Amino acid sequence: MGKRRAAGSLESEVLAALWAADKPLTAGDVVDALGGDLAYTTVQTILARLHSKGAVDRQPAGRAHAYTPVLDEAGLAASRMRAMLDRGGDHAAVLARFLGTLSPQEEAILAGLIARHRTPGGDG
Amino acid sequence: MHLSVYLPLVFSGLFGTAAPYLARRLPPAVATFLLSIGGLLAATGSAVSLALLGFTLVGQSPLLAERGHWSNSALRHADPVAAPVAVLALILLAVLTVRVVTAATRRLLALRDGYRLAAALPAAGGELTVIDHPDGHAFAVPGRPGRIVVSRGLLRRLDAGQRRAVLAHERAHLIHRHYLHHAVAHLAAAANPLLRRLPAAVGLSTERWADESAATTCSRETVADALTRAALRRSDVWRLPATVLAAAVTELAVRIQALRDPAPRLRLWRVALLVTLLLATTATAVEAAHDTERLFENAQAAYHGTPHRIVLMREAP
Repeated sequence: MGKRRAAGSLESEVLAALWAADKPLTAGDVVDALGGDLAYTTVQTILARLHSKGAVDRQPAGRAHAYTPVLDEAGLAASRMRAMLDRGGDHAAVLARFLGTLSPQEEAILAGLIARHRTPGGDG
Repeated sequence: MHLSVYLPLVFSGLFGTAAPYLARRLPPAVATFLLSIGGLLAATGSAVSLALLGFTLVGQSPLLAERGHWSNSALRHADPVAAPVAVLALILLAVLTVRVVTAATRRLLALRDGYRLAAALPAAGGELTVIDHPDGHAFAVPGRPGRIVVSRGLLRRLDAGQRRAVLAHERAHLIHRHYLHHAVAHLAAAANPLLRRLPAAVGLSTERWADESAATTCSRETVADALTRAALRRSDVWRLPATVLAAAVTELAVRIQALRDPAPRLRLWRVALLVTLLLATTATAVEAAHDTERLFENAQAAYHGTPHRIVLMREAP
């Protein structure tokens, strides 16, 4: 933690924190949601930038503002991603994924593997 | 012709077999370049080998011999490549050329569609687009600029450090243009079936590369936890074929284990072994090309009426 990050990646982290939350967040809430290693003013600046680009909505909350991410109502992004993946083959291969979705059996195999990896070290 | 014409095939096969194993314990960035650039060299070497084998037969056609001013009968006498071998080489070369052209076309079209997708995604959030979906998804979409797409379900399941890990992982795919390495390995495998294990190996090494990049923004443990947390959740949507999934589970276990271990060190003997195989592939291909050139030079000499050089050539080692 606390290692240096580029401005673009901070914007993504703030947006991700807003999406992960159940309710609108103030700048102070976002600082907490990010683990408290970003300055309040930095977060405020990023939120203002995201708002001016239309990525987040804001409403007054006391003396500050509370922010919510703007929903892609039409689900445009999701349907476009899905169209690309549904073409399969090279089209799906072009989209590097963090990991695939797993079936229950595969989850069980994976859980077993992880458990096995954890026991020898005893530090998991 | 000499043995050297077959050696690029042998060495490329050795590379295709050894590289996926040797690359595993290397720093993933080094491994990725060795696999993709190495695959390209190995595939070129084997293609040269097949072309040379075939060309000795093609060169015997009277029409071509007349135009190139070489004696086709001298060529036939000097050429130790049996006609069936040359024919087989030509057929293989034709089939593999079709495979490469098809694979290249498909991949280029897919990349073009990837770029279009990246440009069409809602851009208000900068590099990041979030889709409102309960499952855990995270993608890097290549483009100018590339985009990161994650599902809301994934973000809600992770803490701040883990979210940062996922974002850094996807960003690394884009910054280091992993899709190009994938494409090169894919084409190498199309050009030489002995390299068919390279695409999966590059798939793993680029995932490891992105994991290691993510581990520079947070602890290795956090990246491993993000992987585990994202995986352990039932999902029925956007399902992958079973074979891909089985591979994904193995791959995930390898990645998690690698993150629990310290960052891999550069093991020079592994690199040296792979580089040696690649140098051997290239050197033998060049040597075979020289041999063939001499063969044709002698046939040209015979055409111009100095046949004694052929005898010399056949005795040369």
